Amino acid sequence: MLTTASGLEKEVSRLHEEQTINSSKSEIAVTLKNCSLSFGDVNVLNNVSIDIYKNEFVSILGPSGCGKSTLLRLMLDLLQPNAGGEIVYPSKELSLGMVFQKPVLMPWLTAIQNISLPLTIGEKKFSKKEIKEKAESSLRLVGLQDFMNHFPHQLSGGMQQRIAIARALAADPTVLLMDEPFGALDEFTREKLNFELLRLWESPETSLSTVVMVTHSIQESVLLSNRVIMMSPRPAGVEDIISVPLPSPREIGMDELPAFHQTVNALRKRVKHL
Amino acid sequence: MRTKIKDAMYPVVFAIAFLVLWELVVRLFDIPLYLLPSPTGILSVMDSSLWSHMMVTLLEALAGFVLANVLGLITAVIFVHSKPIEKGVFPLAIALKTTPLVALAPLLVVWMGTGYSSKVVASMLICFFPILVNSVKGLKAIEHEAWELFSTYKGTKSEIFWKLRLPASLPYVFSALKISTSLAIVGAIVGEFVGANKGLGYVVLVSSYHMDTPVMFSAIIASALCGLVLFWAISLLERRIIFWQRTDDL
Repeated sequence: MLTTASGLEKEVSRLHEEQTINSSKSEIAVTLKNCSLSFGDVNVLNNVSIDIYKNEFVSILGPSGCGKSTLLRLMLDLLQPNAGGEIVYPSKELSLGMVFQKPVLMPWLTAIQNISLPLTIGEKKFSKKEIKEKAESSLRLVGLQDFMNHFPHQLSGGMQQRIAIARALAADPTVLLMDEPFGALDEFTREKLNFELLRLWESPETSLSTVVMVTHSIQESVLLSNRVIMMSPRPAGVEDIISVPLPSPREIGMDELPAFHQTVNALRKRVKHL
Repeated sequence: MRTKIKDAMYPVVFAIAFLVLWELVVRLFDIPLYLLPSPTGILSVMDSSLWSHMMVTLLEALAGFVLANVLGLITAVIFVHSKPIEKGVFPLAIALKTTPLVALAPLLVVWMGTGYSSKVVASMLICFFPILVNSVKGLKAIEHEAWELFSTYKGTKSEIFWKLRLPASLPYVFSALKISTSLAIVGAIVGEFVGANKGLGYVVLVSSYHMDTPVMFSAIIASALCGLVLFWAISLLERRIIFWQRTDDL
């Protein structure tokens, strides 16, 4: 028993090293350089610099109201950093997807119409037929093909959030930004959707390569991500970046591995320290 | 469905009981006709001429209602897109609202005569404010995240208006429409009080001169019916259009 456990740990630390080496080699998906942001006199973000790589799942972890969501909004170009800050997406084929804490579905549109919405506004790159195909395939990805013509009020909270994820996936994003996407859901649904999300990220059917998820759950961040970016309270800065030494693909039950607990405990200590 | 019918029975039963009691009281105590006519007495004076007066009032009210709501909605859209216009015109709209319609009605008759138009305008004036206020509120009431969603996917201003603001404002618009239904009838009747030779307001006024209380009652009941019909029509429309919201009233 003991030997297996330590064997596993060796394996885990080997993977850990591999991942670190990999990430130093791989291409950057997005870079934040010296990003500060203030609303009037209030400093929300203080000199944040982060590199996020392709094929990486990154969590941004921090206490409520520390500016995690603001960071995502900078990355979405909904907010601009103060002078001197910069956000760079090196890739030319960039497409961003966004999932909010609330599903933010239009109650007057059916599931499939909600999913099509991003494709029917803005640049309108697709024909009607393509939009239909894309929307239907992303509805299948989240397993709700039987609810195509249902309205949001006819769906449960978990289903609504799945529709929101499908809507983000329909536009073929390479980078998916999520703001506490499962924060409003119950524990059971949340756990289920966490793994569904991982499956979608790993799936070759989606164009998805990078996921950046804001969360305030330490467990969730460790279980899902390759790296956890820990934020300090307001004005938020990067407190620490921790690589998660868990093997991929992540599977149910990995939250029982010693490496999981060690990482969770390490993060928890940092939280207390703040 | 069955419970719906059952629910509808409650007011009917109470109304019938009330009418029977009324009839009995009038007959037993021999109350003079000019004070309180019995329900059967009122029913006997309801004839085709009452119907035609009712149609006149309903038409005036409906015309004023529709015009006010179209104008109010357009004004609200302008307000939402232009801060200076909103700031400049909104106080004037409030001033208009605070002016009692009863005080304005004689002027309307002087300007537009005793025909339809003065009543339509009176009804329009009284309906204008609720729709304006509620539409402005509704058009501004979109979720911040919904706006961010449209911005993320580079939605244009007109797309944000047609696909987000307008549908999101509908619940607010409909609550204003429901408020306005009864106001529209008030506007028309006030107009008819001042100068008219047809309509329910005219019937009420003339019957009061002659102490013809049964006819007066019949006109009052008819005007209440006008309001109810409009309200139900709007409620029905609301349930069809804003199917995603549960409305519990009526």
